[in-house]
Amino acid sequence: MEKDKQTAPTIIGLSPNVVKTKELINHVADTGLNIIICGESGVGKEVVAQNLYHRSPRKGKPFVKINCAALPEGLLESELFGFEQGAFTGAERRKRGKFELAHGGVLLLDEIGDMSLSLQAKLLHVLQSGEFSRLGSEKELKTDTWILAATNHELEEDIKNEKFREDLYYRLNIIKIYLSPLRERPEDIPVLIDYYLKKYSPRFRNNSLNPDYSLIEKLQEYHWPGNVRELQNVLKRILVLGNWEEIVDELTRSTYAKNDSTSDKASSKEPSVVSDILNSADGPLQNLESFSLKDIKRRALNRVEKEAISYVLDRTDWNRSKAAKILKISYKTLLYKISDLKIVPPKKF
Amino acid sequence: MEGVEMNKSYKLLIIDDNKETLSMLHAFFSKKNYEVVSSLSGLDGLKLFESEKKGFDLVITDLVMPNISGVAVISIIKKKNPDTPVIAITGWGEHPEALASEAKADLILSKPLQLDELEVSILDLLSIKK
Ligand SMILES: Nc1ncnc2c1ncn2[C@@H]1O[C@H](COP(=O)(O)OP(=O)(O)OP(=O)(O)O)[C@@H](O)[C@H]1O
Ligand SMILES: [Mg+2]
Repeated sequence: MEKDKQTAPTIIGLSPNVVKTKELINHVADTGLNIIICGESGVGKEVVAQNLYHRSPRKGKPFVKINCAALPEGLLESELFGFEQGAFTGAERRKRGKFELAHGGVLLLDEIGDMSLSLQAKLLHVLQSGEFSRLGSEKELKTDTWILAATNHELEEDIKNEKFREDLYYRLNIIKIYLSPLRERPEDIPVLIDYYLKKYSPRFRNNSLNPDYSLIEKLQEYHWPGNVRELQNVLKRILVLGNWEEIVDELTRSTYAKNDSTSDKASSKEPSVVSDILNSADGPLQNLESFSLKDIKRRALNRVEKEAISYVLDRTDWNRSKAAKILKISYKTLLYKISDLKIVPPKKF
Repeated sequence: MEGVEMNKSYKLLIIDDNKETLSMLHAFFSKKNYEVVSSLSGLDGLKLFESEKKGFDLVITDLVMPNISGVAVISIIKKKNPDTPVIAITGWGEHPEALASEAKADLILSKPLQLDELEVSILDLLSIKK
């Protein structure tokens, strides 16, 4: 923890998403503008926040973090703004809030998407005016804090569902840094493995103990719902148990189990049809920026076509001219669709 | 080329993540003999701004863009170069205008743009600057 204060944690990775993230960090760290860092749990949002801090003129000043999801509303409010003695029962002496503690430095509002609407309104007021007061006091105190906010929510969705204030969103979203899930940047996995093996264990410094390429490939196919944090845990387990194959197999097996059920935790926030389509065979969407209704429509159509054609092919025992007749398309079109939609005949044992 | 004062064209930097808007603006001002540099993202726009030694006479930026928003572009440019006029344009139904004026945009226009009016405003801002 103390060491973290001296240097920024290294951001490992060579995917376009990581490269762009580093570029953004270098470009905006000295601006003091509000920044939203978003992405799934464990993708490295806090690492980005710390890198911003370490490259900013505020380095050496306080870096204060508060988790907006971990505390009930009232407690979160008093943690943020502090309170005067006697402000409420139990307020036995004056306490400074995070805004005061972060004065001159950085305040990381972690899990901002989980903040209640009424507290969002209070936060917005502070961001607009640059002033706040301790609970139980009328006195306005000036604050000079660089606000970084992190979330694994899709705030645009939360705004539509009236769970997040649009005006607060615009005020925070002066700059946005989006980290994609690890499964969308498998090229980062080998370098992360290399980095963490060397970091965790001196035994790996001499490269001779590195895992088989085929094992790494398997890890690249895994869907990593817990992202880089999960990768770290897997590597630690491997180091303790010393058995790559077993642990990698275990992961891969659980992947198949997950694919069978529709209630995958990572996608439970989205309607299942859409999330299925988003993760469909022709590649998951990189991020919301590339989301378009047209694209969804095309993917949805492809999927429906694929299912319909597979169904008829199954029922006709893959008699393609029969199937074409039933589907009322030409034989040639059917052959084209089979290859285009990557429909494969069932394996005969 | 010194002395051919009449032909000296203004240099504009235009930033908008919407391709159509960007090429429309680019075409319009190029035809009117402005020197136009355009960019599809806030980050690239800032890089162009920073690498242009002689600077730009004026910047036009969209407000809602991924990563580096127009509000950020305006703040950063105004901090580095307070004298460069910046015009912000906003799409329909977006509300970061207040932020744009806090960031000291010289003018905020909403889409759809009236190009002739936009040019009048540009000439206004450029003549104040002189
Ligand atoms: N690109 C990276 N290079 C090196 N380490 C990384 C990278 N991304 C994440 N990590 C490591 O993974 C772990 C999880 O990262 P971090 O805590 O920043 O994630 P997070 O996005 O804040 O997750 P959460 O939403 O759960 O808070 C940390 O130990 C961090 O150091
Ligand atoms: Mg975190």
